Order: sequence, then C-alpha cells, then structure tokens
Amino acid sequence: MRIAMLGWEYPPFKSGGLGVHCFELTSRLAQMGHSIDFYMPVVGQPLPSPHSNIKLIEVAETILKPYLSFSKKGQRATYGASLAHAVQLYNQQVAKMVIENDKKTPYDVIHGHDWLTVKGACDAAHETTLPHVHTFHSTEFDRTSYPWDFVLDIERQGAGQSTLLIAVSKRTREAVLRLGADHNKVRVVYNGVDAAKYGNNGKPHETSAISRMGGQGKKIVLFLGRLTEQKGPVQFLHAAKKVVEKNPNVLFLIAGTGELMPLLINMTIEMGMQNNVRFLGFVSEEDQKRIYSACDLYVMPSTSEPFGITALEAMASGTPVIISKTSGVSEVVKAAVRVDFWDIKGMAAKMLAVLSYPSLKQTMVMLESNDVSQLTWERTARETQDVYSEAMKLSPRKSTISIPSR
Amino acid sequence: MQVCFYFQVHQPMRLAHFSVFDGSPSSPCDAYFDDNLNRGIMQKVANKCYIPTNKILLEALERNQNMKIAFSTTGVFLEQAEKFAPEVISSFQALAKTGRVEFLSETYYHSLSSLFTDKSEFTEQIALHQAKLKSLGLVPEGHKPAVFRNTEAMFSNDIAYLVERLGYSGIMAEGIDNVLGWRAPTYLYSVHQTSKIKAMLRHYKLSDDIGYRFSAKWWNEYPLTADKYARWLSHLQGDCVNLFMDYETFGEHHWEDTGIFGFLRALPDEISKHPHLSFATPSELAIATEAKGVIDVPNITSWADMERDTSAWLGNDMQKAAWAELTALEGPIKELNDPEYTRAWRHLQNSDHLYYCCTKSLSDQDVHNYFSPYDSPFDAFINFMNVLQDLKSRVHERMKK
Repeated sequence: MRIAMLGWEYPPFKSGGLGVHCFELTSRLAQMGHSIDFYMPVVGQPLPSPHSNIKLIEVAETILKPYLSFSKKGQRATYGASLAHAVQLYNQQVAKMVIENDKKTPYDVIHGHDWLTVKGACDAAHETTLPHVHTFHSTEFDRTSYPWDFVLDIERQGAGQSTLLIAVSKRTREAVLRLGADHNKVRVVYNGVDAAKYGNNGKPHETSAISRMGGQGKKIVLFLGRLTEQKGPVQFLHAAKKVVEKNPNVLFLIAGTGELMPLLINMTIEMGMQNNVRFLGFVSEEDQKRIYSACDLYVMPSTSEPFGITALEAMASGTPVIISKTSGVSEVVKAAVRVDFWDIKGMAAKMLAVLSYPSLKQTMVMLESNDVSQLTWERTARETQDVYSEAMKLSPRKSTISIPSR
Repeated sequence: MQVCFYFQVHQPMRLAHFSVFDGSPSSPCDAYFDDNLNRGIMQKVANKCYIPTNKILLEALERNQNMKIAFSTTGVFLEQAEKFAPEVISSFQALAKTGRVEFLSETYYHSLSSLFTDKSEFTEQIALHQAKLKSLGLVPEGHKPAVFRNTEAMFSNDIAYLVERLGYSGIMAEGIDNVLGWRAPTYLYSVHQTSKIKAMLRHYKLSDDIGYRFSAKWWNEYPLTADKYARWLSHLQGDCVNLFMDYETFGEHHWEDTGIFGFLRALPDEISKHPHLSFATPSELAIATEAKGVIDVPNITSWADMERDTSAWLGNDMQKAAWAELTALEGPIKELNDPEYTRAWRHLQNSDHLYYCCTKSLSDQDVHNYFSPYDSPFDAFINFMNVLQDLKSRVHERMKK
C-alpha cells in the first residue's frame, strides 16, 4: 500500500504520544512492505528517515513547536491565535501537496492524526476521492476542562467525514462518538511499546544522579508528563504528602513542564515537602529511559488519559506502575495497580504498599513483562493496516480514468 | 453401585476496605470484616440457593425413603448464616432431622491449617467445627462423622496420615487422572504410608457435568436431563460414584431459569428407577466398602483450577509472602491467648483471602475474578496485608503491656 500520512510531530521533534505513535507506526508499516509519505510541519533541521520506505515531507511555511506553546486553559488570546493560524496554514499546504503527489504516484489511502491534520486530510481526500482514515489520540474533551469550539468544530468535521476512524482506546472511542461519529465507523487500535528499547537496560543503578537529587537510600516515585490538569500532578503531590506522613524515606520526582509548574512548586513548599520532591523539568528521551529504570514506582494519576504510552514504557523498564482507572492503557494491561484519580488516600495507600511489599512489586513486574510482550507496535501496525484495507473496500477511490475492458 | 452426593457449603467472611490511614477501632473483628457486604451476599445466596435447594431436597427425602446426601458446611458459613439468615440454619436442621443427611467434618475456618508445621492449630479448628455442628443440632449427640473433608479437597499422603490419626475412616480427595492412572475413581483406595484410612475420590467428570456444564449451551450433552444423568450413573462400573460439588451450583452458579431446580427435583427419583443404584452417605461408604488399591500422593492435590494443586492459594510471590506473615503470627497469637484476637487471626486464615490474590492468566483467572470482591489481585493483596499488619502491630502492643 502507498499511504499518505499527515502528522504533526516526529522524533526527535516531539512532545507527546502522537510523535511516538507516528514514528513506531510508520516504521512497522514500512517493515511490512508499505510505503509511506509522512507529512509534517517544517522543523528547520535535517530529518533522518528511519526506513527507505518512509519519505519525510516537510510542509513549508509552518515552523512551530506543537503542544508546548499551546495554552490549555482556553485563553486563546496569547498562544491560541497563533496556533490556530499555524494549523490553518499547515492544513492548506499539506492538502495541496498530497493532491499533487497523488497525481505523480497515486496513493491508496490517506491517514490523518488528531484535529491538527483534519482539514488537510479531509480536503485532500475530497479532491482525490481516496479513502480517509483518521486517528484520534485524544480529543478536546480530554485535553481541557474548557473545550475550545474552534478545535471541537474541526474534530467534529474529522469524525463526520472520515471513511473510518481509529481511537487509541475504548474511552477515546466514546469521546469520538461524542463528536458525532457514526458508531459503525470507529475502530479501537491500542498503542504499543518497543520493549527492546527499554527492556534490555537491566536495572542500572543511577546512584550518582539520584544521590545528587537527595535520593540516596530513599525509594523513588516518578511522575512523568506535561504539568497540566489532565495529567493529575496536583493529586500526585497530595498523595505524596500522605505517603511521607507514613514513610519519610521516599523521594518524588516530577518530570515534565507545563502551566501548572509554578503552582506545584508553591504547593511543595507550603506542604513542607521540599526535601521529598524534585522537579526535573523537560527530560530527554534518553534520560526518560534511565529514570524509568532507576525509580521504584511509576504513577500515572491522569484525570483523563486517552491512552498513556508512558505507563507501558515504565512497565517495559521493569518498574511497577500505578495507573488511573480513567486511562486507555488500563483497558489493556493486567499487571498494573489501578486507582481513582480523585482518591488521594487510596492512591497514597497503594504507593505505600508497592514500596513496602517486595512480593507485590515482584509479582507486578513479572506480570508486566507478559503485558508488554503482548502490546507491541507490530500489533498496532497490523491492526491499522486492517483498517486501511477495510476503508479501501468501504469507499473505493473513484477512478477518473476509465479502465478499458478486455 | 452406590451414589454418594456431597455438597460443599461455604461463604467467606470478606474483608472491609482497610487502609493504612485508618485508625484502629477497639475490636479487630469489627474493624476487619465487612458486615454489610457479607450480610448482603449471605442473604442473596440464601434466597437464590440455600432456602429453595434445601426445600427441594427435604421434599425429595420425604418422598424417597432410600435417598441419602451429605453436606460439608464450614464454621464460617454457619456463623454468618446464624447472624444474617437464621432461616437457613433451621432449614439445614430440618434436613438433619430426617436422619439421612450427613454433615461431614472439616476445619471451622476453611483454612490451609493442614499445611502448618505444627498441626495443633489444624486439630483445634476441626474440634471447633465439630462443636459448632453439635451446638446447632446438625450432628446427633455422641456421633462423630467418619469422613473428613479438607479445605478445597486438599489431599496428600501426609494429610491422610494426619487425618487418620485423628480417628477418621475416610477422607475426600479429587479424582485426578495422574494419581489414578488407569484406575477408576469409582472405588475406594488406601493411601500410601497410612494403615486403614480410605480415600474417597471425586468423580470430576460427572460432578462437573452438573457443577460447571449444566447450563453450557456449547456442551454437546446440553440440555442435561435427570433421566439421562441417572442413565449415565447406571452404566458405571465399580463400587461407588462420588459426586461432590459446591452447593451454590444450585440457583447461584446456575440460575433458576436454567432449569437446575427441576433437574435436582427429578434426579433422586430417576436414580431410584435403576435397581442396582442406591444412595449412601460418605461415612457409610468409608466404613462398609473395601479399598481396592493403594494411591500414592506425595504432593498436595486439590479440586481447584486446572492445576488441581495448591497454586490457587500459594502460587505467586504475594501469596507466599501473605502466607508467611499469617503463619508467623501463630506464636504471638497463641501466647497472647485473647479469644478476640485468635478469632480474627483464624478468620484471616480463610483460604479465600489468598485465592483473591491469584494471578494465573489462563481461563481460571475468570473464575477467581468472578468470586473476588476486589478489582484486582493486587488490591486483594494490599488490603489483606494492611489488615494483617494491623493485627500484628496490635498483638505486639498488647504483649508489651
């Protein structure tokens, strides 16, 4: 198959699960023999393609950093307007390029990701009559408590006009249905994890780094994610406070940046937790891997998590994970301990239990490796390929050239 | 061919949600167990199963003077039935009055105490169970059941030896293929390294035809009728057929609308139509029937899961750790010798608490989940350990005084 894939970010220029997904998906599809043109905004630096079947195509005139600069509070006055403009520009350009390239070498399917590429994918699909598959990694309902109509309208367009839709979890499927999608058109394809990237690390003891942070001889609990309401860092900090009441020998690492950082730092000081909490700021991919292995427990307390790839990454690193029930990943893993994000006491009690009982930790880690071995990106790619085939059958391209009958 | 029916009756005392952040109220039993949950389940199962099934069996016994059956009721069950559904106790008493219903011996707390290094706890729990049966009038004064049923049919040469020394003539066990080899479960067997105790082996196929498959639409024998089942029994070769199953099979595992009650109502009469089939209680069998061979079971077998061993309770690291904590408390509990604390510790020995911590991945996990009041085995473990730690610290505090 020849696939026109419309993305927004690609490693090493990424800020979230979308970039990871696009990289792993295109790599696996390429290995399966498909050829992919991956469209994305200009990053301003040379981009190496991971496979000869993947062509990375930068779309001119849209240089930007995707999510990080985007206000999550719906205050569109500052960053919002520029993001809206950039998205509009990107989508106009990308549609043109897809249509042109299709004329040179025809595509079989157009695959867009998230609201950021909806308009471009819809326009190109309309013009070329190609089947259009669209993946939602999250929806505006997940990202903010104050959904922005501008984004919602675009998401509704994608939900309504795509041939088939992919949601990264059942809970995301529900959100896509809320956007008005026909329930016969939404498929669930879960994300995966590349265990080889994490699993082979063994358990390197990052003693020096940890002790610099004041963690020597302490148990380490990790939060990793954007510091926004959706990811639940406030609940994490409240639970940390409860844990320290029972066991002061625990260090909590908060990795990531975001609008809640100042609030979280203030909270830490007010709670008198400065000796038990460290803010790591933005963490590179390499450092992420080290931190996963070095910590004793990973906690993902998200209030609304469409999937939660980081939980799988931590699991692949041999670290026990506690995940909120309101996450897509909790639909597919057996080994995790689940919590209600609002149940601070319950969350703290479970953190204490994992830190106190070696047998619990061992059992979790053992079962996690089973989960991880099931949840591969190969599986994600295979299931995505099945959706492509189904879309091609459902809405075959209208041929403009009449094929002479024999 | 003697037909021996025995039904297992048990309800665990499920734990309350017990957080490390909760303060300790005065009485451990009040703090650890969820009365509301346990009352709710007992009353639900009483209405769906115990009351209607006891009624059907009582009518059948009155109609059919040759019919005999047996129960094994745990002390934990009897205690909760008295408290939450006393009408269940009186319906069992009515069955006992017929004189053709035997109540078997087992541990009061449905525990794994047969695995303790020191067997005195095991012996005490059997005595407590006997006392309970007597106080409720379920066994006649001066009578002692000749057959012992260990928790979840756990059995080995060692357990058989222990039970024999306690004066029993028979012991229940699972009729596992790799124990029996070419031999049939329709005979009684002696046990290697014992002198006269007889192993009574569950005919798992015929028992599970009722217990598991009765309402299975995929089963090629579906629907199972009483006359068909009685015909199967009549075709068997051997001395006896041991049909052992959970009593909750009737009305709870298979709901009323599957026709299970109609089946049970008709079965005794259908069995009586075959002249060479007769009913026997386990004690009658164990005393009067000769053993036809010797079985050798060095490792513990049970009737649980596909593995039929102890892995449902002691399979993973969490279960082993919980078990180690539980057994380590024996010394301090006995030394403290406070009835309230002893009782709490013994209720924690109920094998179900460990069963909820099981993490097997195959089809058995569904069964574990079905019976578990927890979201996951991890939650089960955490809650159980929180309770255990609380009891431990309280016992140590009391001993300091």
